[in-house]
Amino acid sequence: MSNDEETAKADGGTASRSETAEDERSEEHPLEWDEPENNDKAPDERDSVSHRTEKYDDRKLVTGQAKYTADYEERYPDLAYAAVVRSDIPHGRVTDINTSAAEAMDGVDAVLTPESDAVPDAKYTSAGQSYPEPSPWDMHVLNEHVRYIGDPIAAVAAEDRATATAAVESIEVSYEKYDYVTDPEDAFDEDAPQLFEDGEVENEIVGHDYDRNRMAHIGGELGDVDAALDGDTHVHETEWETIRQSHANVEKHTSLAYTNEDDRHVLITSTQVPNHTRRQLAHLFDIPIRDIRVQKPRVGGGFGGKQAMVIEPIPLALSLATDRPVLYEASREEEFYAMRSRHPMKVKAKTAVTEDGDIKAIDIYALSNTGAYGSHGMTVAGNVGSKPMPLYSKVPNARFEADIVHTNTPQTGAMRGYGAPQGTLALEGHLDEVARDLGLDPIEFRRRHHMEVGDLDEIAGMMGGEGANRRIRSCGLDECIERGKDAIGYDDLEQPDEDHLHRGIGMALSAQGTGVAGDELGAAQIMMNEDGSFHLQVGGVDIGTGADTAFLQIAAEVLGCDEGEIIVKSSDTDVTPFDYGAYASSTTYISGMAVKKAAEDAKERILNWGSKLLGEPVGDLETGDGTVYSEASDDSVTLEDIGYEAAYGDDEREHILGKGTHCTEESPPPFAAQFADVTVDETTGEFEVQKLVVAVDCGVAINPGMAEGQIEGANHMSYEMAVSDGITLDDEGRAEVADFDEYGLPSATETPPIESILVETHEPTGPFGAKSVAEVPTNTVPPALSNAVRDAVGVRIREMPITAEKIRSKLDEREI
Amino acid sequence: MPKTGGNVVDIELTINGERTTVEAGSADDLATVLRQHGYIGVKCGCDGGTCGASKVFVDGEVRMACGMEAADADGSEIQTVAALGTQADLHPVQQAFVDNFAVQCGFCIPGMVIQAVALLDSNPDPTEREVREALDDNVCRCTGYQKPVEAVLDAAERMRGEQSVAADGGQSVSASPRGAESTGCCGGGCDE
Repeated sequence: MSNDEETAKADGGTASRSETAEDERSEEHPLEWDEPENNDKAPDERDSVSHRTEKYDDRKLVTGQAKYTADYEERYPDLAYAAVVRSDIPHGRVTDINTSAAEAMDGVDAVLTPESDAVPDAKYTSAGQSYPEPSPWDMHVLNEHVRYIGDPIAAVAAEDRATATAAVESIEVSYEKYDYVTDPEDAFDEDAPQLFEDGEVENEIVGHDYDRNRMAHIGGELGDVDAALDGDTHVHETEWETIRQSHANVEKHTSLAYTNEDDRHVLITSTQVPNHTRRQLAHLFDIPIRDIRVQKPRVGGGFGGKQAMVIEPIPLALSLATDRPVLYEASREEEFYAMRSRHPMKVKAKTAVTEDGDIKAIDIYALSNTGAYGSHGMTVAGNVGSKPMPLYSKVPNARFEADIVHTNTPQTGAMRGYGAPQGTLALEGHLDEVARDLGLDPIEFRRRHHMEVGDLDEIAGMMGGEGANRRIRSCGLDECIERGKDAIGYDDLEQPDEDHLHRGIGMALSAQGTGVAGDELGAAQIMMNEDGSFHLQVGGVDIGTGADTAFLQIAAEVLGCDEGEIIVKSSDTDVTPFDYGAYASSTTYISGMAVKKAAEDAKERILNWGSKLLGEPVGDLETGDGTVYSEASDDSVTLEDIGYEAAYGDDEREHILGKGTHCTEESPPPFAAQFADVTVDETTGEFEVQKLVVAVDCGVAINPGMAEGQIEGANHMSYEMAVSDGITLDDEGRAEVADFDEYGLPSATETPPIESILVETHEPTGPFGAKSVAEVPTNTVPPALSNAVRDAVGVRIREMPITAEKIRSKLDEREI
Repeated sequence: MPKTGGNVVDIELTINGERTTVEAGSADDLATVLRQHGYIGVKCGCDGGTCGASKVFVDGEVRMACGMEAADADGSEIQTVAALGTQADLHPVQQAFVDNFAVQCGFCIPGMVIQAVALLDSNPDPTEREVREALDDNVCRCTGYQKPVEAVLDAAERMRGEQSVAADGGQSVSASPRGAESTGCCGGGCDE
């Protein structure tokens, strides 16, 4: 399969800003949007949307009755348990796997190695993305050539967990050791140990150069950046570094595989991407898509770590080999060393700025460490540029380039923010530094250049891919800044009484997208029961975000009933309509719009029946309060009467069904303004963050309580990127973190109060004006805190995490 | 019933008010055993004793069930989250978590609720700092702790309000886990 078409978008060429082209693009991307009248409701007209509706699964969750994948254990009396042998060397070839002790062990049902018939030979990527997949096929389910400490080599199924673990421990692996490399700059050297031979990888990505361990190179330019840098401007250059962050989803990766009574292969699995996983399994195991069923129960957090088929092939292979249901639940140690993490990056930012503060050019370069395999490598790196840079749409010249390089370190993947946090740190830290150098107010400096309604986003479009030439139709940035400033007390900051303590405020802006422009699909179906209640079947994937509740609110708003009258069933590939899955901040916008369309389709049928029963024209009828009522006569008929009449009527009958499917070229950015209030002790470098404030424009929040929760959780994750070491590695690339007590996830006492502010705008392309919320506040704390420390004591920390030692060391340098 | 590892031993427990003898592998932790007997509100998010999702009351003390051997609980009274309230009649702490949108994926919530109930039992009027300290070894990846902290403070206020009503002759609500002295966990309607 060729991936040229997909990756060509990201490679792109050079765009220009000629006026003719601008006119043509204006026709292609008009500001006006043909929005249905019912999509734009004033707050007091909304019956369900933008209400703080109780999250529909909360009562089950707080009573401990909700079922996650591992909770299905009791349903399968003949369940076997899986465990995996993983490489304990960073690079080499397996020369022998001695499984005899494991196979002789009581209670061991199967031991699989790369040679086993049940183990697929095919190459694949674990990345759960659209098709053709924009990630290289460079992985095997079980490996002879191991490329990091954690690569899977063999798998066991046994009667119980303890036996499975004992069997794994008894397996002896012999290796021919290869040279290894763990630093991405070293790996990029021509003489470095090479992870992949040329031609070894299928579905290669643009710019790959495996002789230098490069899986991809991407870039794009708007205008002429070099000319601007050579002009009569101040040129600033800064370099930034980010951590290897763990998703740390409290529910570990867990999958249960079996073949059911209809000979169909069922995966109950903790995933963000049921439909992609089904397609990927079909490819790997050479089974028709129709014969695989992927069911997503409650999921205990994903954050991108489950936007991948990380473990599913292993229990499926074991289940096929044993003819039994098999459960594989990763250990927490495996979560840290063998699942996925955020790509650590070095990002350079360069700008050309005139004396009076006009930015003439922004130039960003990222070196991304994708680890041993390339899943999400190119696309995450693309977002380092394509998410933060468009924020400054008034800047005439912009360039972005990235090299994505393999090392013998654990696998990376998608993670909330998807490259935007790395780019936002570099750009927002850099602009703050430039403003201070030029004696400009950092906020005013940004205000002169940031995006506003009506802009054509050519910067996201410069690489030709995601969000190409978006027209901006909603933007609450100015209000985000104003309300954030008020909440943090920006204009009346009081310094501590003690001379050695200094208080500072830092801010950062951010933009994300809402779905992958032109590369999303969501679908939904609504069935009416005879009592006037409904079943909503939707492919959209609730991984703990509250998406199911948002779907109910959207459907109830259209159908004019209480949310409790609707039963939602999501994410079961046999039952629910197709969906790309929970990623790219798409669910409310894409899947939610599919729900709205399905509800409108059902409503059209309902109004027809209402017309028949009331004897009035459809044009006079509306739904509300569980009825169809006439705006002309005030007469009404209940949805229950309509349901019974439609199902059991004398002369005519119909099952009222509505269907909706949604795709779009649009990907409107949500916006955030972040503020951090820090006090630094200049004698020790120790610092305390008093408060984080983040104001977010997510259009109309479908459920403000859930939206605030998304913002606060994202900001906590962002705070971790600013103050935590993440997953540190030893010289061989071995994760030094094995459990939560060794990982720097800020605890309740270590987390500052987070104030989330919802700034409502109306996004005409989204369901009832909504755009995304869950990723944009992930991007902003590292730069805001770096800027706050700079504001407090005048030193700049560019390498995350920010620590007392680094601040102290910079203060010492300054004193000298 | 799912199988256990190691030699099987019999353990006497009173779980959510119900006396029972359970079979457990000699090496099994208490969380595994409780889960094997259907108490799925006991969650396992780590490799033993670090994430707090498996918190239960053992003889009135909060313990991470995954961090103790089941055999060590022999003869104990256990209360899981299922002892606190039902979906139709939530414990005030559970109700406050729902009302304050403190629940996202929900995986850490049973442990957090247990810890919050224990806090309010000993300290009915905690400060925000005291709430944060109480929840300090409950790992939550979704919420940033903001809404859970707000929920516990809200629950404290609600429970103080109810107790002052009780002092006037109204119905009393104890911060102790309900069902601890009754038989069955919730009067029907729950899996446990």
